[in-house]
Amino acid sequence: MPNSSKLSAMSDDNSTTIDGPALAGHRVYLLKIARIQLRDETLAEDLVADALAQAFERRAQFRGGSSLRTWLTSILKNRIVDFLRKSWREQPLEPASDDDENAIDRIFDASGHYIHMPSDVRDPAELSQQDNFLSAVQHCVDRLPKRIGQVFVLREVFGTDTKELCKDLNLTSSNVWVQLYRARMMLRQCLERGGFGPPQAE
Amino acid sequence: MAIRISCQHSSRLLSQREDEPLPFGQRVKLRLHLMICDACTNVSRQFAALHMAMRSIRDSDDD
Repeated sequence: MPNSSKLSAMSDDNSTTIDGPALAGHRVYLLKIARIQLRDETLAEDLVADALAQAFERRAQFRGGSSLRTWLTSILKNRIVDFLRKSWREQPLEPASDDDENAIDRIFDASGHYIHMPSDVRDPAELSQQDNFLSAVQHCVDRLPKRIGQVFVLREVFGTDTKELCKDLNLTSSNVWVQLYRARMMLRQCLERGGFGPPQAE
Repeated sequence: MAIRISCQHSSRLLSQREDEPLPFGQRVKLRLHLMICDACTNVSRQFAALHMAMRSIRDSDDD
């Protein structure tokens, strides 16, 4: 696995703007998003290293149309998708997924109304800048059931659209929508307990 | 054809529109529902805050 010094050694070709230091500069960012996606430090480091090595190999293909960071992110995303496909094949779905669906339905009464009034978020943009809120969101995302979390992060952090998600993960559109729906509903419930609502009195 | 939809149905549409433009009929039903429902208006703002927070987490340059 290439580390920074090996990447520097590889850059003997001055016809490209992609060299060891340019790639290494993005490593911190790539690690951050890989960690959010994979919830595993070692795995994140491995996949980021693979992505950077692949980026270096394919550097002639980078035409500078998008930013280098965008290009690297998409290479990393493909590595992550390969990993997830393999992981999903090898590990059948946890039986807990039925409970998740019931927990979401239980917040509605028989007529489909909310049993408890959802918290009023006056200014979503302002809230999304607050560190407390961002920590709460990070915490709640980390607590999502594995697959639901994986789909949600691919969508919201990697910006993968529905069509691509279907193709990447071998899911139907309706599967994708259900997973994302569950994710968002679980997240809002988690955030009602600490994030959206006033601080808990108990 | 039912124009009025439940909050539960709205919650699904609110999530779906984060990912895909809603078909016209669904969009109208959701708009009408949001006009008269504080709960779902709150949820739509919660989803907005969540989406923007994910962006912030991704794009922030802290370490």
